[in-house]
Amino acid sequence: MKKIFFILMCMSAVFVSCDEWDPVYTFKYDDPGEYTPVEMTANTTIAQLKAMYDNTPLDIQQDIVIKGQVISSDRSGNIYRSLYIEDESGAIELKIGKSGLYNDYKVGQWVYVKCSGLTLGNYQGMLQLGFRDPTGDYETAYIDVQYIIDTHIFRGGIGTALQPAVLSESQILNSSNFGRYVTLKGLKYGSKDNGSAGEIFSLIYIDPDQDKTSQANRVFLSDKTYGVTTWAMSKQGFIDYLNAGNFDSATTGDGSRTVAAIKDELLANAAAYSVSQYFMMGNTEVQVRTSGYAKFADTQIDPSILNGSVSVDFTGILTNYKGAAQFTLINTDGVGIVE
Amino acid sequence: MYKKILSFVAILAFSLSVFAQSYPGGVKGTVVNRVGRLPVADATLTLFSGTNKLASASTDAKGDFYIPNLDNGMYMLVIEAPDFVKMQVNVTVNDGYVKNMFTLSLTPSQKMDETDVANLAEFDMEDSGYEDNPTVLFNSNDVFNNTVGYNFSPIRFKVRGYSSESQDVLLAGVKMNDAMTGYTPYSLWSGLNEATRTKESVTGTEVSQFGFGGYNGLTDIMAEASSMRSGYRFSVLSNSAFYRLRLMGSYASGMLDNGWSYAFNFSARLGGNDWIKGVYYRSFGYYGAVEKKFDDANKLGFVFMAAPGERGAQNGSTQEVYDLVGDNMYNSNWGYQDGKVRNSRVRKTHEPIAILKYDFTPGDKFQGSATVLYRFGKNGYTALDWYDAPDPRPDYYRNLPSYFYMENSDYNRRNYPKYVWAKEAWTGDYAPTTHIDWDRLYSVNEMNADTYGNRSKYIQEERRVDQRDLNFAASFKWRPYSWLTVDGGANAKINRTENYKIIADLLGGDYYLNIDQFAERDYSSSPAKVQNDLDYYMEHGSAQVLGKGDKYGYDYYAQIRKAGAWMNGAFSLGDLSGNIAGKVGYTNFWRDGLVRKGLFAGLDKNGKEIVVDGDNLTSYDPVTGDVITSYGKSDKSDFFTYAAKAGLNYVLGGKMRFYGNIGYFNDAPSFKQAFVSPRTRNSLVRDLTTVKTFSTDLNYQFSSDGYDVRVTGYYTTIKDQTDVMSFYDDLQNSFTNFAMSGIDERHMGLEVGFKVPTPVDNLSLKGVLSYGKYEYTSNPYMTQTVDNSADVTIDHQFVPYWKKTPVFSKDASGSYVTDASGNYVIDHYKQHYVSGSPQLASSLGLSWNRNYWFIDADVNYFADSYLEMNPLYRTDMAVAGPDGKITPAEVEYMTSQEKFDPAFLVNFSIGKSWFIQWKYQVGVNLQVNNLLNNKDVKTGGYEQTRLVDNTVGKERYYRFDPKYFYMCGINYMLNIYFRF
Repeated sequence: MKKIFFILMCMSAVFVSCDEWDPVYTFKYDDPGEYTPVEMTANTTIAQLKAMYDNTPLDIQQDIVIKGQVISSDRSGNIYRSLYIEDESGAIELKIGKSGLYNDYKVGQWVYVKCSGLTLGNYQGMLQLGFRDPTGDYETAYIDVQYIIDTHIFRGGIGTALQPAVLSESQILNSSNFGRYVTLKGLKYGSKDNGSAGEIFSLIYIDPDQDKTSQANRVFLSDKTYGVTTWAMSKQGFIDYLNAGNFDSATTGDGSRTVAAIKDELLANAAAYSVSQYFMMGNTEVQVRTSGYAKFADTQIDPSILNGSVSVDFTGILTNYKGAAQFTLINTDGVGIVE
Repeated sequence: MYKKILSFVAILAFSLSVFAQSYPGGVKGTVVNRVGRLPVADATLTLFSGTNKLASASTDAKGDFYIPNLDNGMYMLVIEAPDFVKMQVNVTVNDGYVKNMFTLSLTPSQKMDETDVANLAEFDMEDSGYEDNPTVLFNSNDVFNNTVGYNFSPIRFKVRGYSSESQDVLLAGVKMNDAMTGYTPYSLWSGLNEATRTKESVTGTEVSQFGFGGYNGLTDIMAEASSMRSGYRFSVLSNSAFYRLRLMGSYASGMLDNGWSYAFNFSARLGGNDWIKGVYYRSFGYYGAVEKKFDDANKLGFVFMAAPGERGAQNGSTQEVYDLVGDNMYNSNWGYQDGKVRNSRVRKTHEPIAILKYDFTPGDKFQGSATVLYRFGKNGYTALDWYDAPDPRPDYYRNLPSYFYMENSDYNRRNYPKYVWAKEAWTGDYAPTTHIDWDRLYSVNEMNADTYGNRSKYIQEERRVDQRDLNFAASFKWRPYSWLTVDGGANAKINRTENYKIIADLLGGDYYLNIDQFAERDYSSSPAKVQNDLDYYMEHGSAQVLGKGDKYGYDYYAQIRKAGAWMNGAFSLGDLSGNIAGKVGYTNFWRDGLVRKGLFAGLDKNGKEIVVDGDNLTSYDPVTGDVITSYGKSDKSDFFTYAAKAGLNYVLGGKMRFYGNIGYFNDAPSFKQAFVSPRTRNSLVRDLTTVKTFSTDLNYQFSSDGYDVRVTGYYTTIKDQTDVMSFYDDLQNSFTNFAMSGIDERHMGLEVGFKVPTPVDNLSLKGVLSYGKYEYTSNPYMTQTVDNSADVTIDHQFVPYWKKTPVFSKDASGSYVTDASGNYVIDHYKQHYVSGSPQLASSLGLSWNRNYWFIDADVNYFADSYLEMNPLYRTDMAVAGPDGKITPAEVEYMTSQEKFDPAFLVNFSIGKSWFIQWKYQVGVNLQVNNLLNNKDVKTGGYEQTRLVDNTVGKERYYRFDPKYFYMCGINYMLNIYFRF
């Protein structure tokens, strides 16, 4: 009897004392709290970094650290997978490549970027900091990989959000202002070519799964408004415009077919589309470009803006597309009606 | 690991030398009926030493016997009783003690059996802890099922390839298969092994005394106080495959002189395991039963039991992930929170069962019983949910190296440097990449202040499936003549299962909103449409603000009603016996939506369309034109069902038995298979019909002199099955549902089981072979809907490549051959198979027992296992690709079915029990599974229902990699028990 108990005790001891007795912690978990802000010293300003670009993508190998405060938010969806940061010298777009960045990067938060290993490139006039694109399709690719992000982009403390710089008409085509958080005052709905009747630009694909560069697969909505009175078109918004016949007269890029003739195909392949609404700042045309994935894509533009009875102060990110002034709203709070 | 097993073995070996003195001994015990475990009176016991008859005795009214005055030695005890199969048991008398055999269970005649002392071992083995969700029935008196139960469970073997839903599991005569899904309910009482040990099983199409059953056998678990083995029993079990520790204790009084019996069983299962991190148990079990026998005719019993607790779950990943981390048992469900392992997917249950059972036995010719059973409580399963934030799951495909670079340039994944970085994060086990980053989730939530506080972006939801299940069952057995027995019964079920979600953990935030984040993407400008609870929104003007524990998302009742009656007539004329049985049933179910969802608002109470903020929210089915609604009662589905069975049984020379069964079944589909998207709307799958099954088997059995052999051939066809699969489709950014109808299968094959003595004393050879073909025999139809809209993405489309893949002819140069009219020539077809089980499974082992030592070793071989198919890859659309052209290469690539590699497994077990002062029994078992430490055995998996469509060539689609589950490597189970 004693022997048996002795043996059983031995056996119990073996498995209870075993190092593999590692129960998964199943009781209370402590709240890990907020992130720990990183403190780093920048050795280069954003303007100095941008000045290093020389018409070809620059794979940065030097020990360059920039810092800036977050000025953009992708919460509304108009800015997507990118973050704009600004220091006293200028601003730059970080092509982080993740969605929902506003969850981790708050407006006003300091961000430090170790640029070595990243690539500085140009997209139609805008300088961007991203990752190498070996395909050569673009000058930079999205950074995307969490491990690259975590080893290059560091989150600092949250400072006071920057106030927008108020730019004059003469400053909006100055490249040092590109990417900055700005206010443009007193813009009127309309375009150079069409005056107060206005104009939009939107590029529609007949079948997004097919060659997007083929003119036969594209429809350009340009030169007039087509009755588009929203900032952009969500998928449903696009379908509604199509069904209402707004685009019937538009033709494919090669001029071979009208929208009316291919409407079924367009409806079947409907997607969200971005729209540029044209405004005039004095004599300079500004395209307010809004993504079809923005939450305010289908928001109606105030009729008093469209009929020219009021002017608008825009606050958001100043961008540039092939030399033309573009403007990206962060959200509809950036639209201020001036009575 | 090895070290630990070695130390166990060493200690066992050390313990060999216990007791060696000599006293005059004896044998005592209790003889009971295996079915029901009631005592058998007047059984005759004869004790032999070799061929010499030494003594005899008979049992008293309580089934007890005692044979005194025996020398030390080995004897054979033969037990005989009218209407029971003769049984012989080897008995060893040592050290002059009176050997207590405890219970010796006799099998009612009709079945031939031979039981030896290994039966005792069998009881102990059932404690293995591996039977938490057995894939096969235990029928301990069948050599095939016995081996299959122990050795084939880890590989998820399914008898004859049938789904687990086809297996009827009864508790106290009430069918317990889940009302909504049909799944077997073992988890309701897992851990209560002692309380649920006494059971009766039949296999295949046989009819049980307790119920009609289907074509995949029936198990009836008694669970009554008097059915539990009397006495105390305690055990401590440790294993390395599931949980580290199990503690169990039980007591049963047996039938007391005053007619009362009572019984208790408690257990706890705790801890993690060696192989799958994040998987853990914190489960308990309780069982209490009381029973009163008023007189010879009347008995009433009450049982209350449950197995509450929580269990961390495992997740399947793609082979790319397993290879990156170098571990096929990688589990993506967990991550570190403040340095501690936390699993995001936890099953939390507490579902008590209350049973009231009345037995009526007025005489020898009639016995009847009636049961009322009520099941209730909660059943939850947690998961992460998130709103407008990146997918937190580590093995999300965009986090993997293959998302950045693929050698096949047509995939349009061409950034090799990013691939290298991503790979380094995985291979270097960079935790924020390889596991859930809980710390980040908390940080995000705690930094998202707005009107009501911090709005959580990530939460842990708990999906609840809470049942209220009331059952009535009555059965009788009537024996009007000695050659005729009539069994029958009736049953009814009223089930209301509430399906909903609650917020289990806000993960550091203060609140969450009751809106549909998937709908919001498509309808961001319509705040009414994205509401999960539109009525709340219309009343308050804003979405409901949710706190911890609040219901959200969806909430509906599955209402299910079932009723049925069955009868079986069995005759016995000498060596020939047979039976014929029939069943009729009625099933009725509907969905009752408790919240009105903005996407499917339906009509208001006046029958008018619902317009909010100028948005008409009433939508109509584009095919039928019916209003689609999420709120209120759906149409009711009615099914009248029936089934018939017959069997013949012929015994030749007392040792051989030939028997066969045949059955036809017309069964209702389950609730789960009937609604296209029960989370969001009332819409039923169209063309819903009953499942028609035909099944037959032929068997040969030989039992004598230690030989035990069974050979069975079976043939089954299952027709008109429906299935609904739901999954998240991130191309649609929504949950999508595939409803398939007209799925036909054929299962045919051979089962062989044998146990034969060897020239070495006490050593027997046992083996099992299960070789089958479980094939799809039809191409079904498929309808695809999305939770986000009323659209029918695919409407009742034929799935032309479901049952087989054509293989096309090639010429000498490797080009596909066309015929005169330009069509590609099909050379042959490759059949597609029913997944979920190896179709070839075999085992060969040696079993030795002597003097209460039990040693078993076996080698198992499994082959012909297949990956579960999704219907999408078998459609013309997926095969054709963006260009709409179907080419032979696309057909062969997209539609083929993956076959798993065969696997060898070696298992070993050793056990010993001791009797102490003829009063106590102590025993130890050690079982080591997968001795070869084979870590490459796939036990299952599934194809992802998604296509890579962003190709360069725009000509074809690619599949996503499938996800797999693997069997764990070498693992042990050690059980120490003590009973008296």
